[in-house]
Amino acid sequence: MTPSLSAAVAHHQATGVPLSWYLALSGVLFLIGLLGVMTRRDPLLLLLAVELMLNSANIALVGFSRYWNVSDGQIFALVVMVVAAAEVVIGLGLVVAVYRQRLALDVDALSRLKG
Amino acid sequence: MGERIFFAIAAVGIISSAVAVIALRNPFRAAVALIVSLLSVALIFLLQRAPFVAMIQIIVYAGAIVVLFLFVIAYLGDRPPAIGVDPLARYQVLAWLAIIGLGIEGFLALGNSELPGIRSDPTQVSDIGSPQAIGHAFLDHFIAAFEGTSLVLLVAAIGAVLLARRAVLGERGR
Repeated sequence: MTPSLSAAVAHHQATGVPLSWYLALSGVLFLIGLLGVMTRRDPLLLLLAVELMLNSANIALVGFSRYWNVSDGQIFALVVMVVAAAEVVIGLGLVVAVYRQRLALDVDALSRLKG
Repeated sequence: MGERIFFAIAAVGIISSAVAVIALRNPFRAAVALIVSLLSVALIFLLQRAPFVAMIQIIVYAGAIVVLFLFVIAYLGDRPPAIGVDPLARYQVLAWLAIIGLGIEGFLALGNSELPGIRSDPTQVSDIGSPQAIGHAFLDHFIAAFEGTSLVLLVAAIGAVLLARRAVLGERGR
């Protein structure tokens, strides 16, 4: 950090939320979601955990958007939401299809496509 | 100071409900906890001066997507829990190790980051989050991404219809 910049930073009053806080929150949320994906067996709970991970990415994206003062990060977050909607539609379609074939809803049991 | 208190409240809401989402075994309760988490994320978006994204978060995410989840959970009804012991239970310690390792890595990366101003107050931003600014950015710079998302949605809709049709046909064949 250059001296002039740190002086400018010290001049600021500490009232707003710095970017590092958002990134820390985003990281914690991502890890919780990842833990859910790795430990759950019910595909519905798996999809819910994936939603948590996508949301953590959105927090980081919008935080950087505010940090750099451009809209790009928010555009990216909106695109992530569209992808999340598509993913939920296909994921729930698969869950219902598996259920109608009278198979157990357990991602560890659905291993016929394993290489 | 007010913004930091607001942030703390929203962050506690997000983390506690996210833990509930992965800890609860009942999918219905987990989905309701996810609603709380998504609404708290919308509060964070408001704090980040992104009101349009916050509203879309509430309408599309906490509204449409979670309702779709609840609909499917209600459609499947009460299912018997997964049968037998988890054959991969002994690998769960590896999942925890990965989480702890990634957490330490992220903590070090964030602590040693030399991005200017990352730990101080953000500068006052111009208008970047209003519907007008988002619309301009989409149509002026990101028109290809905009069209791409519509294509993704179309493919997802067609895929869902095909999946449902094959499931119905497979059932009739029995």
